[in-house]
Amino acid sequence: MARTLAMFTDTSVCIGCRACEVACKQWNQLPAEEPQWTGSYQTRSHFTDKTWRHVKFIEKIEKKDERNEPKWLLMSDVCKHCNNAGCLEACPTGAIYRTPFGTVDISQDICNGCRYCVSACPFGVVAFNHGTGRVNKCTFCVDRTSEGMQTACAKTCPTKSIEFGYRDELAKKAKKRLADLHRQGVKEANLYGEDENGPLGGLNAFFLLLDKPEVYGLPADPQLPQKPIFKDAGLSAGTAILAGLGAIVAFRERGNGGGGEE
Amino acid sequence: MPNLQSPHWPLLIELYFFLVGLAGGAFMAAGIADIFGSKRDRVVTRIGSYLALLALLPGPLFLIIDLGVPSRFLHMLMVPKASTNIGMSAITIGPFHIKPYSPMNLGAWALLGFGVCAFIVALSLYLEDSGRARELGPVRGAFGAIGVLLGFFVAGYPGQLLAATAQPFWTNARPLGALFIIVGASTGMATIALILSLRGAEVSGSLAKVRRAYTIAVAIQALTLIAVFMAVARGPAWSASRSAMLTSGSYSLVFWGGAVAIGLLAPLILEVRDGFFQGYRQGRGSVVLASVLILVGGFLTKYVIFTVGQA
Repeated sequence: MARTLAMFTDTSVCIGCRACEVACKQWNQLPAEEPQWTGSYQTRSHFTDKTWRHVKFIEKIEKKDERNEPKWLLMSDVCKHCNNAGCLEACPTGAIYRTPFGTVDISQDICNGCRYCVSACPFGVVAFNHGTGRVNKCTFCVDRTSEGMQTACAKTCPTKSIEFGYRDELAKKAKKRLADLHRQGVKEANLYGEDENGPLGGLNAFFLLLDKPEVYGLPADPQLPQKPIFKDAGLSAGTAILAGLGAIVAFRERGNGGGGEE
Repeated sequence: MPNLQSPHWPLLIELYFFLVGLAGGAFMAAGIADIFGSKRDRVVTRIGSYLALLALLPGPLFLIIDLGVPSRFLHMLMVPKASTNIGMSAITIGPFHIKPYSPMNLGAWALLGFGVCAFIVALSLYLEDSGRARELGPVRGAFGAIGVLLGFFVAGYPGQLLAATAQPFWTNARPLGALFIIVGASTGMATIALILSLRGAEVSGSLAKVRRAYTIAVAIQALTLIAVFMAVARGPAWSASRSAMLTSGSYSLVFWGGAVAIGLLAPLILEVRDGFFQGYRQGRGSVVLASVLILVGGFLTKYVIFTVGQA
């Protein structure tokens, strides 16, 4: 396997220009969509089959000295390309696979549109395309990265909020940036998904956030939904045995004349 | 609550979950009646086996028409050119793939295997009963035994499939596989009882046995349902709070009235009265009522679970 590629999105320098959204749509030839009213400048409440990068605009009102202090949190969200990916494990057809770069991609030639991956993604990334009957999500610009180019969103980002590179190098950069911010007094800053020993074995698109993950609509402790499957299966087997024993007790001959003798 | 997306599976899928569970339960009862029952209980084996096959038939059709690309239904089991790195412990043999961590993939395989077993068992019974063949017992025994195990699997995997998602309620409802198995057992056996009740007094012994068996199943169903709620309560707040939609929210009438009162309490009271106090001596009405209650309750149990994760 080649060295793992990653994207690091530093939300502290995001200005909410949405150039990443546009670049993503242009490169991947995704049509525009009617904007949604979400209560803020955010134009989409969630990913769609045609929107694979989208900027979240979160308006947070904080009480400071009896005054309401509004604070804007901006975050360009994208598929996390999890090291332990719920969508990939769920996929019954093997359409979702891990690329040699460590990212997660969907083979449109194989997907049959069962939508199981949609339900299994802890981040609500994978979306069903009613036109093609298949599912879509960020491909990590596999057609660019496999040719040695960076992803369209990272290439376009004017503030270098989105950075593309090797995972190990970006992780170092992210930690340094976090330390800098902490030193400057931004205590709330935290890294999301950078730790390969953390939830989901680390995310290959990880983030620097300026508030708790929940504020950004991200799960605080994302879990691989399939992880406890064999423990659950034990529970199911136990219940099956109980049901079977119940029926055996009911059917077994007790010599009370309830049924004919063999 | 984290941003999630619903798969928007239609009610047709829930109907499939119900039918496949019923098939697994009926086949289990048929097999146990064959091995542990008397000669007279062969009627249970016959009804259970035919019923399992019949309940199984429309299922795959429901699944296929729900696919985004229905012509690719075989991709559940095989693809012409498979990718590498398709998941944990995935096995690829030629064009076929088995993914142990994908309940939908395993379920598709089990459905195929169960279908084959149910077909062979039903065929062997038909050949014997019509006098075209004799002594097919060993064949039926082998395929019946494998079929009973696969039947449990197909009854339970839809519950496991829902639990292995990231959706609220489902993701923490780890005993859903167990619940779906036991609902399958109770509804499968209730259907057998319903069919038996249309026959005369000559099957009354077998009918009493089926009633005893499904009463035990309904009691286990009550415990499993409680276990599901206990598991969900241990989840994070955004998931655990979904329970309220069933207990006091928009689905509370279907939950308390349908899943609990119709599906559990009423049939248990009826069966305890009829079986324990009166030795199953009453007429047809009582068993018809109890079986229909179990069927409606079982369907609604799966319905509310299916709906609460997608609401």
